[in-house]
Amino acid sequence: MVNADSSLADNSIVVEGLVRDFKTLRAVDGIDLHVDGGEIYGFLGPNGAGKSTTVLMLTTLLPPSSGTARVAGFDVVHDGPKVRASIGAALQEAALDPLLTGRDHLRLQATLQGIPRGDRSTRTSELLERVGLSDAADRKVKGYSGGMKRRLDLALALVHRPRIIFLDEPTTGLDIQSRMALWTEVARLAKEDGVTIFLTTQYLEEADVLADRVGIIDQGKIVAEGTPAELKDEIGRPSVHATPLRAEETQRVTKVLARFGDPVPGAVRDIAVRLRDGTSGLADVVRALDNEGLIVANLELQQPTLDDVFLAKTGRSLEGAGGEEEPDSVSPPRKGRRR
Amino acid sequence: MRIWPVAQGVAWRTLKIVLTTPSLFFPSLLFPLFFFTAFAGGLSQVSHVPGFNYPPGYTTFQFVFVLLQSAAFGGVFTGFGVARDFETGFARRLLLASPNRSGIVLGYGLAALARWAITATMLTMIALIAGLNIGGNGVDVFGLYLLAVLVNMAGFLWSCGIGMRLRTIQAGPLMQMPVFLTLFFAPVYVPLELLQGWIHAVARANPVTYVLATGRGFLAGDPPHVALAFGLAVGSAAVLALWAFRGLRNAEAAG
Repeated sequence: MVNADSSLADNSIVVEGLVRDFKTLRAVDGIDLHVDGGEIYGFLGPNGAGKSTTVLMLTTLLPPSSGTARVAGFDVVHDGPKVRASIGAALQEAALDPLLTGRDHLRLQATLQGIPRGDRSTRTSELLERVGLSDAADRKVKGYSGGMKRRLDLALALVHRPRIIFLDEPTTGLDIQSRMALWTEVARLAKEDGVTIFLTTQYLEEADVLADRVGIIDQGKIVAEGTPAELKDEIGRPSVHATPLRAEETQRVTKVLARFGDPVPGAVRDIAVRLRDGTSGLADVVRALDNEGLIVANLELQQPTLDDVFLAKTGRSLEGAGGEEEPDSVSPPRKGRRR
Repeated sequence: MRIWPVAQGVAWRTLKIVLTTPSLFFPSLLFPLFFFTAFAGGLSQVSHVPGFNYPPGYTTFQFVFVLLQSAAFGGVFTGFGVARDFETGFARRLLLASPNRSGIVLGYGLAALARWAITATMLTMIALIAGLNIGGNGVDVFGLYLLAVLVNMAGFLWSCGIGMRLRTIQAGPLMQMPVFLTLFFAPVYVPLELLQGWIHAVARANPVTYVLATGRGFLAGDPPHVALAFGLAVGSAAVLALWAFRGLRNAEAAG
């Protein structure tokens, strides 16, 4: 059993030139990564970008076509058993048996990982309590909600106290409360237990809130990497978003805003431009709209987001690239985006 | 990395599912009992055919076949579970959580054995009530059940290899059909000497014929070609073990 307590343990992930081909498709195209121990690394990208394929290779579920990857100091190809003993993973599709109870799953996981018989029951109860499933522990999983299955999946990933945890889109399909609860637990794992977290997500807020560093992947290649703040600073300038009060004035508002910057995508009725002069340009925008006698229902200054970073690097919006709608937006608890 | 914890976990989970799901448990228990009742009861007059020479009687003659058949299919049914686990994605959890993945095959194998042990116990009890004659001694009886264990393992390893390569429950007929044909092209209802024509030629070439004859011989107290029967059973299990473990490597490569 691997324990996170060992300060000498290697909790890093080091990837060099990792490639995975599927017949004619190159899903992962020579990526390099370095994730330090205790870090939360957000791996952001649209559907089909190569996030899950990367996770499958790093968790030894899929052999790479070429390149190398070391997880917890072990090579994923040659030291598979040691890698698996060091990591926990909650994959995109929670692989649960509908005919087993939550407690059965934890017991199975503990047995597979070689936890001594006497400790299994204690560890199982502790984790059920931690993810809030104590009351449902003896119910078959086929009766669990999506959120309960995700929480059980997270508990299963923690059974053997792994040094590194892979979470592949852990909050997809969850309601707001469940997402927030999972975020809190993930942050606690990294902060208090020193566990390295490799988190893939399509949700910008998730990466923004949780990740110490973010890697953005598109079409199998990493197109940007850094802390969320560094990446947004690369974009630098904020954007202004105006919603005309009257639809017939949309063209005129667009012309006025075009004087102050280049257009960027916005909400359905919004007209948005990236301000050439930064925040100080906002006053000029207000004056120009007023001089033209245009009334707007809403005028908003937005700081750059990770979607802006994605747009700048790929020419496409991350939110639209995956072909799926973003679920209800959750306001980040620690960082404001708008002002 | 130790193999036993993984084998133990997989076997426990497989048995738990089988024993708590009637649709999985009862067919593998009831089919052998049905076959035994139908063959030993309905065809008992076959023992009066001239040249039929098996002193313990027709019930015992059929018991050995049904015992070996239940062993083979007990293994095959567990292979269905392997394929189902890959189809539903649960196998991915096993592959991810098992430091030593060879334990997965071993665990399913232990479950196949335990599952068949329940069937064999029931079948033996019913056969004893129905008039099973045991002419052999304790060693002979042990020999018969040891042969059946090897047949169970061979049946499991065959279907496990298929399940891990095709990873879908639609592979079921492919697991079942060769085993079914091999068993029924052996001398099921009468001894080999009473078969004629092409079926006699096929039965002579069929390795199950020798395993069956030795098994029947154990209960008659005079087992023929014991070394050949065990050689065939052990050899089949060994070759099929290679087949199953290469199937595991195939599943690992597929992701």
